[in-house]
Amino acid sequence: MSAKIDPITRSVVQHRLSSIVKEMGEAMLRTSYSQILNSSRDFSLGVCDTRARLIAQADHLPVHVGALPWATIAVEARFKDVQPGDVFLLNDPYHGGSHLPDLTVFVPVFDGDQRLLWTIVRAHQSDIGGATHGAYNPGATEIWQEGIRIPPIRLSEAGRPREDILEMLALNVRNPREFRGDLAAMLGAAHLGERRVAKLFSEFGAPVVEAAIEAILDATEQQTRAVVSTWKDGVFHGEAFLDDDGHGRTDIRIAAKVTKKGSDIEVDLSESDPQSTSFVNSSHANMQAAVAMAFAYLIDAEIPKNTGALRPLKVIAKQGTIVWADPGRPVTMCTSHPSNEIVEAIIKAMSASCPERAMAGWSRRFRIAIQGEDPRTGKQFIWHMFHARPGGGASSGGDGYSSIGEWHSVGGLKFGSLEVAEARFPLHFRQHEFREGSGGDGQFRGGLGVALDLVLETAKPSRGNTAGDGARHGPCGMLGGEDGQPHHYRLLSEGREPRVLRTKEVGIELQPGDCLEIRSSGGGGWGPPSKRSAEARRRDAEQGFTSVSTERRG
Amino acid sequence: MYTIGVDVGGTYTDLVATDASGRTTFAKSPSTPADQSIGVMTGLDELARRLNVSRAEMLAATDRLVHGTTVATNALLERKGARVALLTTEGHRDVIEMREGLKPDRYDLRSPPPEPLVPRELRFGVRERLKANGEVLIPLDERSLDEAIAGIRKLGATSVAVCFLHSYLNPVHELAAVERLAKALPDVSVSRSSDVLPQIKEYERVSTTIVNAYVEPIVRRYLTNLERRLKEAGLKGSLFVILSHGGMAPVEEASRLAAGTVLSGPAGGMSGGRRCAELLGIPDLVPFDMGGTSTDISLISDGQASLSADGLLAGQRIALRSLDIASIAAGGGSIAHVDSSRTLRVGPESAGSIPGPACYGNGGQAATVTDANVVLGYLDAAAFMGGQRPLDRAASEAAVDRIGAAMELSRVEAAAGIYRMINLNMADGIRLMTLRRGVDPRKFALLSFGGAAGLHAAEVARELEIKRIIVPTVASVLSAWGMLTSDLRYEMSRTHYGKGPRITAGEVRELFAELEEAAAGRLRSWFKGPLSIERSAEMRYGEQIFEIDVSLDGLDWNAADLVDQIEQRFHRKHEELYTYASPGQEVVFVNARVAAVGAVAPNDQNTKPAASAGACTPRGTRQAFFGGWREVPVYALETLQPGHSLTGPAIIEAETTTVLVDTGDHVSVNALGWLDIVLR
Repeated sequence: MSAKIDPITRSVVQHRLSSIVKEMGEAMLRTSYSQILNSSRDFSLGVCDTRARLIAQADHLPVHVGALPWATIAVEARFKDVQPGDVFLLNDPYHGGSHLPDLTVFVPVFDGDQRLLWTIVRAHQSDIGGATHGAYNPGATEIWQEGIRIPPIRLSEAGRPREDILEMLALNVRNPREFRGDLAAMLGAAHLGERRVAKLFSEFGAPVVEAAIEAILDATEQQTRAVVSTWKDGVFHGEAFLDDDGHGRTDIRIAAKVTKKGSDIEVDLSESDPQSTSFVNSSHANMQAAVAMAFAYLIDAEIPKNTGALRPLKVIAKQGTIVWADPGRPVTMCTSHPSNEIVEAIIKAMSASCPERAMAGWSRRFRIAIQGEDPRTGKQFIWHMFHARPGGGASSGGDGYSSIGEWHSVGGLKFGSLEVAEARFPLHFRQHEFREGSGGDGQFRGGLGVALDLVLETAKPSRGNTAGDGARHGPCGMLGGEDGQPHHYRLLSEGREPRVLRTKEVGIELQPGDCLEIRSSGGGGWGPPSKRSAEARRRDAEQGFTSVSTERRG
Repeated sequence: MYTIGVDVGGTYTDLVATDASGRTTFAKSPSTPADQSIGVMTGLDELARRLNVSRAEMLAATDRLVHGTTVATNALLERKGARVALLTTEGHRDVIEMREGLKPDRYDLRSPPPEPLVPRELRFGVRERLKANGEVLIPLDERSLDEAIAGIRKLGATSVAVCFLHSYLNPVHELAAVERLAKALPDVSVSRSSDVLPQIKEYERVSTTIVNAYVEPIVRRYLTNLERRLKEAGLKGSLFVILSHGGMAPVEEASRLAAGTVLSGPAGGMSGGRRCAELLGIPDLVPFDMGGTSTDISLISDGQASLSADGLLAGQRIALRSLDIASIAAGGGSIAHVDSSRTLRVGPESAGSIPGPACYGNGGQAATVTDANVVLGYLDAAAFMGGQRPLDRAASEAAVDRIGAAMELSRVEAAAGIYRMINLNMADGIRLMTLRRGVDPRKFALLSFGGAAGLHAAEVARELEIKRIIVPTVASVLSAWGMLTSDLRYEMSRTHYGKGPRITAGEVRELFAELEEAAAGRLRSWFKGPLSIERSAEMRYGEQIFEIDVSLDGLDWNAADLVDQIEQRFHRKHEELYTYASPGQEVVFVNARVAAVGAVAPNDQNTKPAASAGACTPRGTRQAFFGGWREVPVYALETLQPGHSLTGPAIIEAETTTVLVDTGDHVSVNALGWLDIVLR
């Protein structure tokens, strides 16, 4: 490889690659079929080379980004005869994937007969088969109960889609039309990227592009090392706890030992607790991605998130632990849990090394889905709650965002209109407002969660499922800041005792008129509360951010 | 009789007058941001001088003065609007601060959230509630309303936004609240959501209503004051304001819907672009308006500018329909810098007009795009702005040298690099715009206007594989010129809530008939000429959340299968935009939209006879960088006549703009006197 490339050409190639992944993202957003993609934007795009190095990615879902190289390794290992016009697909967490609902497609980019790069699209499917609708099965004790497993397969061969395979896949999910629509959107975006990258080769010539890529990765590495080298050296420890696994185990510990020396960082998760029987285990790729995500949050926002940025980072973990499960274990929850706890443990450890950069805890995911019959139409409905977004963590930069999200989504997940939800589903949003007093106190206050009172306007009983965590452990305070209030969801039902909902329940019976009293968590506070300015406290009081006032209204 | 267009930009106020014979006269005058009407009046003086009449004579002979203003835009950008309070449904007062759960920049977790336009203590929940079908669930509680009004009084809000859930179906509670507000606080302005944007989706509606409340008092004050000054100065005709949707409206209407004026300026450029497309017979144009600090990009496809309701300005969601214009914060003043990975970046920081590029000599040290253009010989330092404002070439060289030193590059390599990067930024903007609209940029021609566009158009076009560039003679004042061709326009929309899952033909006809009658009635109160109606609908597939806007013009309204035909249009449009359609899938009819349009006759065809000779003579030559240093012919735009042609490399200069013709590119001057450039 030529080490010398003129800096303007490098700048141009870098700019091009980043605009290519942006365009792929735009195409995905505009063409995908299901709400989880076109609204909640649960997808990511990247360009990797044949050595599985991430060259460029669009800022969509941080938890996907560090995972793409591992998926690429799996495809490269399996297929030695890649031809122009081929398309590859995988989802299996024991073959390079993170969890089953995330499908990943790969399109090879050739320059003449030389294969150089991959354009990659990963997107979360609203269903992937398995025992329960929507992929999240708290009851699963093995991966076969979670959905269809797809190792690296050839989805198109020399430009011809393999319809037989597509049919088999679509047959194994509950919503084949959406599945096919979303897959078509993924392929469209990957091919758009392929055409644009191919044009880059034809314009500059492959040797120049390759040399530019080396220079881009090296420059990003230097940029990252320059940042890391300003942090304090030492060995630092952090830990975070999952509430439970839904199968009887509580306070499952994720332990991070971080060794920082010069511009190198080693994250060792080996002391984390043993794996679980339920879906809160992490796959290997997802664990790697979670560590990369924590590191990405600590360095500068402007640094491109490519393989060069991750070169200073070394990851050590032990198979058989909660962060890296043995083959066959269920893992569907892992992109949120234990990802969120892995991030939290690392950032807590690093708060001793780079305190100004360590942000307080963002929230954890607590989802709820309701399945029932709409009395206005007599039709079945399934509703997934994206509302009541929890609070974000405070930082040295100021207070946290309210109603914003979790560590793994950080403000990338949109909730839809209540008016539309009320028009389309037999639901009444009696209250959907900030949950006062939920943000952790500190020099800078955590963002607020949301108080949602949701009334079922059904005529027959319906059923709810939950999946998530964080009802026991609130988002962590940082450097003297206090924890945010944890999630607290209750079911209020005429003639039944109010009941606190657990984070991993299946088949909750919901009667007509029942109210789900949802209180999502607030973000963690940063710095000691004694340092909060009088002016900030006055504004908090005026705006009712801190007063724990009327919990019930309306 | 004259018709006058006045466009207030960040630096200059542009004015254009046409007379009955179609003769067009331009003038420019410095903008006066503190009170834009001062610059407007000074500009009118200059325009009258160029017409050889007095200002009073000119205004007395003016039937229509069309105005594009940035008063609302600046109030939002600079946060100088009214102190706004919100009255909303109890239990739902944080909608704007929740921002649908989104934040920009995924990896920036150390920046605090933006301050909402209405802080929480000024957001009042009122006890009332409608159901999703518009029925009253909880009647409006007067005591809680009075408590809120007392709070507004106590906190001293000067403008109030009223937005209740589901009011798009039934405004009864909003109307009652507004009535009570008006009695209790007669001096406070009120914006009502069921008036501003009677559409489903509370975030869009509440945000748009709040923006309206925020800018309404300042826009009303400005326009009323300007109208008074114009009348005092002798204006006989009417003052109209260009709205974000590209149509114009009288002062009262523009004030009522002040949030609809935030794109008033660039909207003139779009109207100008559409008129260019018509005059040239080129239906597919990319209007490319590159100025000092920002660049506006839009699309004219099949002769039509498209409208969108995705508006976002200064972080505020404005869901009124407006021309689809992408504004990129980059232009001649964009600053080049070398980041910590030694990568060259251009923008987003801008030197603005103060201190401006290094070559302005106002103390700017940073190398800007304009400095690179000076170093490369594209801009003539001595002749800038017709020689009124010569540039400091040595300052440009020193600034560019600093970039060169940081990257171990020569001066000219650094300058060429800056030039390349800004062009990539521009091309990206156009590519995203075309991608969103599902069209291929290669079939478009680039319409180059605005002070800086001519210097960059050729390379931007090449980057996109665009083959043709048009530079109109009105390039430097195209927005003001475009305003002369804007139609009067009044828009209305309504959300459909049906009894069954699918709308019926009867419901369609009834819904549109009501809207059409109301819209036409409103327009007739301003305009006596012929009137037409445009119909469209926003629809989506059952499970989707984005609606798309589908034109219903030209459908047989009495056909028995009207709804089928409407759905056919939707499927086709969906396929055009997103590459696929799903016939057989449930189609949901969400919003009906009607525009009443009063067309004005354009009067601007300045065609000239072709010159006898095809060749033309340069006024001189200068050293410029075209792959290497070359002695390049320089032409004066005003000497180029219809029928003339030339081949690059060449530089064509006018008082306020410079056009670069790349090696091998061919320029012909068309019958309008405009440059028609075909790339090699």
